[in-house]
Amino acid sequence: MNMNWVKVIIAAFFEVFWVIGLKHADNFWTWTGTVIAIIISFYLMIMAGKKLPVGTVYAVFVGLGTAGTVFADIVFFGEPFKLAKVILILVLLAGVIGLKLVTKDNVKEGVES
Amino acid sequence: MAWASLVIAGLFEMFGVSMINKLHRDRNLQSVVLLIIGFGASFLFLAYAMKSLPMGTAYAIWTGIGASGGAILGMILYGESKDWKRLVFIAMVLGAAIGLKLVS
Repeated sequence: MNMNWVKVIIAAFFEVFWVIGLKHADNFWTWTGTVIAIIISFYLMIMAGKKLPVGTVYAVFVGLGTAGTVFADIVFFGEPFKLAKVILILVLLAGVIGLKLVTKDNVKEGVES
Repeated sequence: MAWASLVIAGLFEMFGVSMINKLHRDRNLQSVVLLIIGFGASFLFLAYAMKSLPMGTAYAIWTGIGASGGAILGMILYGESKDWKRLVFIAMVLGAAIGLKLVS
């Protein structure tokens, strides 16, 4: 596990916070927290794209953020538990692991012109 | 108008993702500004579309256009890998993310 993948995972973690914030924030402090979470998550995601392919980083960022949000909705906000959700999260995680395995770090072929 | 707005939001997201590539290549302020404009406009059009479309559907289509479009532009404009395994795994991640937004 190298730093760039850790950045994507932390970025997705903060994405879950701001998605919840956009839905539930109702005063100055919760909105401030939401904005800070947006800035942290985008900053980390953008920096991870420095060494990893941006298309891969963005897909993983969006995917893990979605999985985390669905998980948080079930655990903390009483959304119904469905088998389909669990299967889709497993497919998503398998895809992320696959991307980690096929992605070479620091090599963005053809980018330098 | 909501559907048109949603497609425009997706296109701005594609643009924003491309600007991340441009930022790392050119390392200038112009790229940062364009990146913020891209994602900012994308969120505004998405918010407008969500006023009349179901949230899960709107999110799913927005993600689908933006993230897959961003990956395609990365391959065309910035030489990202076209390895079939990479494409299959990206499709798995985005397909599952879209599915989750539709069933939630």
